[in-house]
Amino acid sequence: MKFIFSTLLILASCVSYAQEQAETIFKQYAPSLYQIRLIDKASGEKSSIGSGFQITANGLIATNYHVISGYARHPEKYLLEYLDSQGQKSTLSLESVDVTNDLALVKRELNEDNTFFEIAPHAPIKGEELYSLGNPNDLGMIVVPGTYNGLKADSFSDRIHFTGSVNSGMSGGPVVNKEAQVVGINVATSGNQIGWLVPHDKLRALYQDYLDAPPTSIEEQMKQQLYANQKDLVSNLLQSNWELKQLGSAKVPVVDVPFVKCWGESNADKTEDKVLIVVANCALNEDTYVSSKFYTGTLDMEYLYLKSKSLSPTKFYQYVQARIKSAGPSNDVSKDDATEFECQHDLISAKENKISNKAIFCTRAYKDYDDLFDVVYLGVSVDRYEEALISHFALAGVSQESAQAFMAKFMEAVSWK
Amino acid sequence: MEIIIEEISRGQKLISRHKFAKSEINIGRGYHNDIILSDPHVCADHICLSFNGDMWTVNDIDSVNGSFLDETKDKAHGHQLKSGDIITLGKSQVRIIFPHHPVPESIAIGPIENLLNVAKHPVFIAINVLVFASIIASLHYINIPKEVHLTQLLEPTIKLLILAVTWPLFVSLISHLMKNDARVLTQISVTFLSLNVLLLGDFIETFVNFNTSSQMPLRYLVLIFPVAVLFTLFWLNTFIGFHTSAKRRYITAAALTLLLVGGSFANSQNKKQKQDFVKKPSYDSTIMSPTFQFSNTETVDKFVKDSDRLFDQVKEEAKKKPDNE
Repeated sequence: MKFIFSTLLILASCVSYAQEQAETIFKQYAPSLYQIRLIDKASGEKSSIGSGFQITANGLIATNYHVISGYARHPEKYLLEYLDSQGQKSTLSLESVDVTNDLALVKRELNEDNTFFEIAPHAPIKGEELYSLGNPNDLGMIVVPGTYNGLKADSFSDRIHFTGSVNSGMSGGPVVNKEAQVVGINVATSGNQIGWLVPHDKLRALYQDYLDAPPTSIEEQMKQQLYANQKDLVSNLLQSNWELKQLGSAKVPVVDVPFVKCWGESNADKTEDKVLIVVANCALNEDTYVSSKFYTGTLDMEYLYLKSKSLSPTKFYQYVQARIKSAGPSNDVSKDDATEFECQHDLISAKENKISNKAIFCTRAYKDYDDLFDVVYLGVSVDRYEEALISHFALAGVSQESAQAFMAKFMEAVSWK
Repeated sequence: MEIIIEEISRGQKLISRHKFAKSEINIGRGYHNDIILSDPHVCADHICLSFNGDMWTVNDIDSVNGSFLDETKDKAHGHQLKSGDIITLGKSQVRIIFPHHPVPESIAIGPIENLLNVAKHPVFIAINVLVFASIIASLHYINIPKEVHLTQLLEPTIKLLILAVTWPLFVSLISHLMKNDARVLTQISVTFLSLNVLLLGDFIETFVNFNTSSQMPLRYLVLIFPVAVLFTLFWLNTFIGFHTSAKRRYITAAALTLLLVGGSFANSQNKKQKQDFVKKPSYDSTIMSPTFQFSNTETVDKFVKDSDRLFDQVKEEAKKKPDNE
């Protein structure tokens, strides 16, 4: 009983200490915190809000790309504004973005120097107490204490795992250590006390690039970033080990990288089914946000092994055909972002001639970022009477070169045992 | 001089034909007349045609509704008849023809007529219907990935049979109403024969789609086949059911084909347009069991190389600015 009591006391003192710390930071840096808002010119109303924080004395403010994406894509449609701790409003200019790391730099006009947040010189240590600042749900600036839990292990783009509630509207707000140095930027949440932050070094890099040479065109900058990101992702995938896994009597490639996660399922327990179906799919569990209806940077791979237990070949093939009618992309785009798909098909044998596939390949092009495409591939084996293998992948926002290299490797890797 | 009097309908179709060798002919509703018309607008004694040794003359016997020449709408009373004159009495019409009136040249019974005679044979019809029914049943069979009982196939097959037989019945009814020979059996026979040919065409299309690559330029030719079959069916329907000129037959068949093919084409275009932006790709997913694979397979490299064209195509597409901007 005594023991419990003393532990409670220690806990209480910790909480009050953290509270105090948070209050000091908040008071001191409140003038450097902003609500960033996009005003729809036609209606004059807010169309999205987020948080931002000043990182230089002369008014450079960091926030998330997704907070200002509407303005970045359609500057003619929106006004970019800030609201400071005194309730003052004024316009901002968009200076630079990092679309793949979801960061942006905006700037306000300042006549005299203002306090600003310093970017931390090094990453925090695991378990370190951090404070997330922001304006959740338009409720006013708040401080949320939490803990640093390292980088997300299986992610292609770096994310800090922050144990603490990051809510909508806090996006773009800074996460600071006890010295009030920025160690991350609020970006997303997975619910219950799991928050995701963009690491401070991404912001430092963006700021440094901005100092060296500010981008001449945001669209061109985004295009280059998307292009570099897909190149990085696809070459990473192509260079990694493609482990051949057995699926029924087929062999299918599973990319052995931590950020691609695979799942499997089958109907082996349902003995009355006329066709045995074994499914495996692998996917990159992240995407790049470009605008509210335009996501890119996704990868999906799916394999279906089908074995007929008692169907005649004609009936079996009819059954398989019904399963390949509606393959699609793994990302969402709108009419303004991309063309519709165009497709080709042919009967193909892999080099070692272990399998004959009907191969279907479809692609659509991005309208604003030339030489970036979404591609969908579908292969169906047509050389066995009682077995079939469906192999499928979809890549979003890749160059023709990347898509073709990936397709060639994928098509050669799928085979019978 | 002999005279021929034809009772004709409003559509100038022949109802009855009489030949007389006397010099006075009475036409009216009364039973004492030479030509008895049952039209209530015709008087008991309506007109009398008389021959004076040189000419036939019309005499109206003070009828209530009068008698008129069809061509000029003039009163017929006192008119000297020419061969081919049509006289309107009440709501009825008669045509006067003299023996020297020319007739069109005789039409030889063509090979098509001979074939159609074979087609209307009950055995031929039975075989065709049976083939159609079994194809429909087996198509249903292969699309159900379970054990199938015969009774499960019976219902959709019978439904489709009933649907298929409506068309020839409809055509026969129309031709009957237009005072032509209905020839129901022949119509049924050619309809089922065409349907079977269409189903065969369907199979050929599937086969071609499976065995050819999307790079093949002539693969769209298979789409012409069903159009040709439909045209032939409509042409035969017209040939069997209606006595019209060859030109009109072609026009009718072409119009019906256009209506059907164009209609379904417009429908699919319309559907496409309603969907402002299609997010999913549409591709040919035809696959068949290895038994039906006859073409050689290509290499992966060739397939990847082929995709260059596809990339160029969508790149071009992306460069086009939307119309409303």
